[in-house]
Amino acid sequence: MSASAVFILDVKGKPLISRNYKGDVAMSKIEHFMPLLVQREEEGALAPLLSHGQVHFLWIKHSNLYLVATTAKNANASLVYSFLYKTIEVFCEYFKELEEESIRDNFVIVYELLDELMDFGFPQTTDSKILQEYITQQSNKLETGKSRVPPTVTNAVSWRSEGIKYKKNEVFIDVIESVNLLVNANGSVLLSEIVGTIKLKVFLSGMPELRLGLNDRVLFELTGLSGGKNKSVELEDVKFHQCVRLSRFDNDRTISFIPPDGDFELMSYRLSTQVKPLIWIESVIEKFSHSRVEIMVKAKGQFKKQSVANGVEISVPVPSDADSPRFKTSVGSAKYVPERNVVIWSIKSFPGGKEYLMRAHFGLPSVEKEEVEGRPPIGVKFEIPYFTVSGIQVRYMKIIEKSGYQALPWVRYITQSGDYQLRTS
Amino acid sequence: MPYLGSEDVVKELKKALCNPHIQADRLRYRNVIQRVIRYMTQGLDMSGVFMEMVKASATVDIVQKKLVYLYMCTYAPLKPDLALLAINTLCKDCSDPNPMVRGLALRSMCSLRMPGVQEYIQQPILNGLRDKASYVRRVAVLGCAKMHNLHGDSEVDGALVNELYSLLRDQDPIVVVNCLRSLEEILKQEGGVVINKPIAHHLLNRMSKLDQWGQAEVLNFLLRYQPRSEEELFDILNLLDSFLKSSSPGVVMGATKFFLILAKKFPHVQTDVLVRVKGPLLAACSSESRELCFVALCHVRQILHSLPGHFSSHYKKFFCSYSEPHYIKLQKVEVLCELVNDENVQQVLEELRGYCTDVSADFAQAAIFAIGGIARTYTDQCVQILTELLGLRQEHITTVVVQTFRDLVWLCPQCTEAVCQALPGCEENIQDSEGKQALIWLLGVHGERIPNAPYVLEDFVENVKSETFPAVKMELLTALLRLFLSRPAECQDMLGRLLYYCIEEEKDMAVRDRGLFYYRLLLVGIDEVKRILCSPKSDPTLGLLEDPAERPVNSWASDFNTLVPVYGKAHWATISKCQGAERCGPELPKTSSFAASGPLIPEDNKEREQELPDSGALMLVPNRQLTAEYFEKTWLSLKVAHQQVLPWRGEFHPDTLQMALQVVNIQTIAMSRAGTRPWKAYLSAQDDTGCLFLIELLLEPENSEMQISVKQNEARTETLNSFISVLETVIGTIEQIKS
Repeated sequence: MSASAVFILDVKGKPLISRNYKGDVAMSKIEHFMPLLVQREEEGALAPLLSHGQVHFLWIKHSNLYLVATTAKNANASLVYSFLYKTIEVFCEYFKELEEESIRDNFVIVYELLDELMDFGFPQTTDSKILQEYITQQSNKLETGKSRVPPTVTNAVSWRSEGIKYKKNEVFIDVIESVNLLVNANGSVLLSEIVGTIKLKVFLSGMPELRLGLNDRVLFELTGLSGGKNKSVELEDVKFHQCVRLSRFDNDRTISFIPPDGDFELMSYRLSTQVKPLIWIESVIEKFSHSRVEIMVKAKGQFKKQSVANGVEISVPVPSDADSPRFKTSVGSAKYVPERNVVIWSIKSFPGGKEYLMRAHFGLPSVEKEEVEGRPPIGVKFEIPYFTVSGIQVRYMKIIEKSGYQALPWVRYITQSGDYQLRTS
Repeated sequence: MPYLGSEDVVKELKKALCNPHIQADRLRYRNVIQRVIRYMTQGLDMSGVFMEMVKASATVDIVQKKLVYLYMCTYAPLKPDLALLAINTLCKDCSDPNPMVRGLALRSMCSLRMPGVQEYIQQPILNGLRDKASYVRRVAVLGCAKMHNLHGDSEVDGALVNELYSLLRDQDPIVVVNCLRSLEEILKQEGGVVINKPIAHHLLNRMSKLDQWGQAEVLNFLLRYQPRSEEELFDILNLLDSFLKSSSPGVVMGATKFFLILAKKFPHVQTDVLVRVKGPLLAACSSESRELCFVALCHVRQILHSLPGHFSSHYKKFFCSYSEPHYIKLQKVEVLCELVNDENVQQVLEELRGYCTDVSADFAQAAIFAIGGIARTYTDQCVQILTELLGLRQEHITTVVVQTFRDLVWLCPQCTEAVCQALPGCEENIQDSEGKQALIWLLGVHGERIPNAPYVLEDFVENVKSETFPAVKMELLTALLRLFLSRPAECQDMLGRLLYYCIEEEKDMAVRDRGLFYYRLLLVGIDEVKRILCSPKSDPTLGLLEDPAERPVNSWASDFNTLVPVYGKAHWATISKCQGAERCGPELPKTSSFAASGPLIPEDNKEREQELPDSGALMLVPNRQLTAEYFEKTWLSLKVAHQQVLPWRGEFHPDTLQMALQVVNIQTIAMSRAGTRPWKAYLSAQDDTGCLFLIELLLEPENSEMQISVKQNEARTETLNSFISVLETVIGTIEQIKS
């Protein structure tokens, strides 16, 4: 990849801040960006890649900002987008929220970061944990001028500094599975997949060597553990954090690594085995033109009775000109959110096997609106603790450090909704 | 924005910067400097306080230093003489005990982009390369490339290059990758950094230590390495196998490309790689980042071009979700259109049908065109769906359906009957030019099968005065004349009226001329009109273009993971036309316009472009493969520029001809199977000025002749003639070999 320059623009396309890394594309070219974007949008041909003459603009939008990379080369698109997203991630860790105000308020740090993230159009140090060691938020305070180079900038293991110390050595393991679901209006499941991630929160001293054991089917078959009462899971598309020794995983499926300090995502995987939709929705939306809309939604928990889904939110679309809402729910509460044109039915706790009902009634104006409306889907949000759809389990986590301390791993399982949509007719 | 004008602001800031009280108070001093930078960021010209800012660089406060250096890099090109004054401070900082300061100073110094700075930065860079802190070495290594760029056309410093090559063995992974990047830039005229066996193996062993950017980049550099033996090749593939599983999409794509190219002689390995990359690509297609998802979809389409069935079982992954942006939905519809097969056609069509009634007219129309595309293979089902859509009586739907019908009957004549039955009534729901033209064309060509065709056309004739589109009038003239030939009694009267209107009242000259032309033609006699106007009503052989022979993976492997698949090949061709010189940049000798002074924007590209036509010789560009759709569109829109008949005796082997044409960079878009009579082929070629040639070969063995028709997108006789002679030579040679 090579980006010639990176720009952060406000919503009107005015550059808030920019960095010219390579100098082979005139900085004034950015003036063409917004007109081009608007023109493409009108033509219905907007894409995240625009070109003007010799210059390519690769851009992403984040809240009210545009991040644009310009290049005159036939660059590697996915790498440039990854870099822009990385930039956002780093900024977010510094400013909590990234938007026009935070860029304006922190322009000194933004310049400092842009300087370290990339040089001559090539990404350099992009790990925010390492950056935070030598570019600090309190830059307004005076420094002594004797700031040391943090060891990680020069380390062989680029993701962990040496000499980390904790009184209590602990590792928290979160196994999180998101369910993506797309159901057609006639009730047939079009798409159902599970995306799992294992996140670690590491509070360990020194340079520990970790080994994680899962009930991975391939591993069980390798070691002859399969069959019997050992339930195993077949993981697809396993992806690891850079710290995991991939060659070892390929050889004997061992997940071994020296972890970064603090929070990070160790691995992700996918399962496309068809599972019963955890929360099933049946809906009837009847629209009587010029008078009213009547909505009936039935939700059913199709998971184990012992488990409970928390924070269930079912959002049902209503016409934008609907008024005077009335609701009746067998459990939980319903709320009309006119700015999103939905009714949100919230159920704090939803045990498996239960079935609940909501009815809603809306008035419609007698004069019908001109423009046609789309048919947004019903969306569902939920979280089921102590449960994974796939049945994945952490069998052990071995922690070895040369000082020989004892460390405790804590494991937590959670299943939550990902992109969970049911189309309406 | 400041309330004051920028001049007042500069004056005020200058005063503040000079004020010894402020200078003594670090916090206040830094605040003033921050204000300067803030105004600079807002686009105000702050070059007026350059002197004062240079002075402010002598500080122990590293943040203040950073700000000042940033300021200097921005304004140095405007104030080169003043900037030289800052060099001293910078040089001093380059030997500061704090490596952060050394790195910062060196990086800033190399980014000054002004003439004359080279001589000052050479020594600090050399020192930097040997610095004990890797942070400084990283900066120094890239500094070499910056220095080389500042020199312009200067000669490559051999000693420096050697030093960089030896730094490839550095401890620090970023230094290693920076070395590659830097060497690539310095040696770009010699074809970039050389990857020999020891370097390649060294890099391969370091791969796992690199960050995602480094890995992606090294994978790209490794493409240059040719393993000596098959064994070595498979060892390398094994070593890099795990990178197909990386969590970074950039690395996955890079690894895929690497595998495809390295295994270019082993088709089964390539196929295996594409099978294994399926999962990661599908995951990227549902990535949270829309842009990465878009890029992945573009690459999926690229793969589908060679392996049409590759993603067929995963078709549901390409169903659109309500909230996705337009560009993703459009890509998904294209993908669905291409992966359709006997098993999933029912479900795909059902899904696409749902999109046809989407609120977004653009998206709905794209879905209808997609169904039209699928109709070329699954005609009956699709025509039925399209016919049902007409029942919705929506303008934006009807017009696209009718256009789809027009294209369909031309390619698949078997559906003519069904289309003709569906047409009546459509005229009420069509307002736009494209739709009207399509409908009128259908009524003219197939009017004898549509009972009310004359009445519909009569309506158009009645309203011709208020018709705004000349193209519709032209189409109407032709259609009515055609219908007149098959149904004279019903049409004679209105044809007269239309001709009268066009000749006497029409203001558009093209329409008027067309009217006059038909009028005179009619005077010659009805048989003559028939002879001239009645051409075939369909051309299924053009369907050949829709089902091109499988395109080999190697034809696009080198474009994989670049901008080409993201723009689409056709669009890329038009973009690179204006960038033409830039793409072949490294091979061409550099012109002297890359002077050491002045802005470093490579303006020499423009000059090269102008130079090329003068050279006179025809240069066909390799690997300029057009898509069949693009070819068809262009072919239909152009007129034949040259037609000629060559003798052809004896046997005929299409493969030999295709290979021979490939050698001279003429690409085959589609051709009939060997032995078909008459045998047809469509070819394309493009020269370095962007002029496109489209060629049709028609071989009729009975007559022992090969008919050549050439179309050209820019009328340039000279290039046309040289192109024809190239083509003649190739065909002549092949013919001689055979006979």
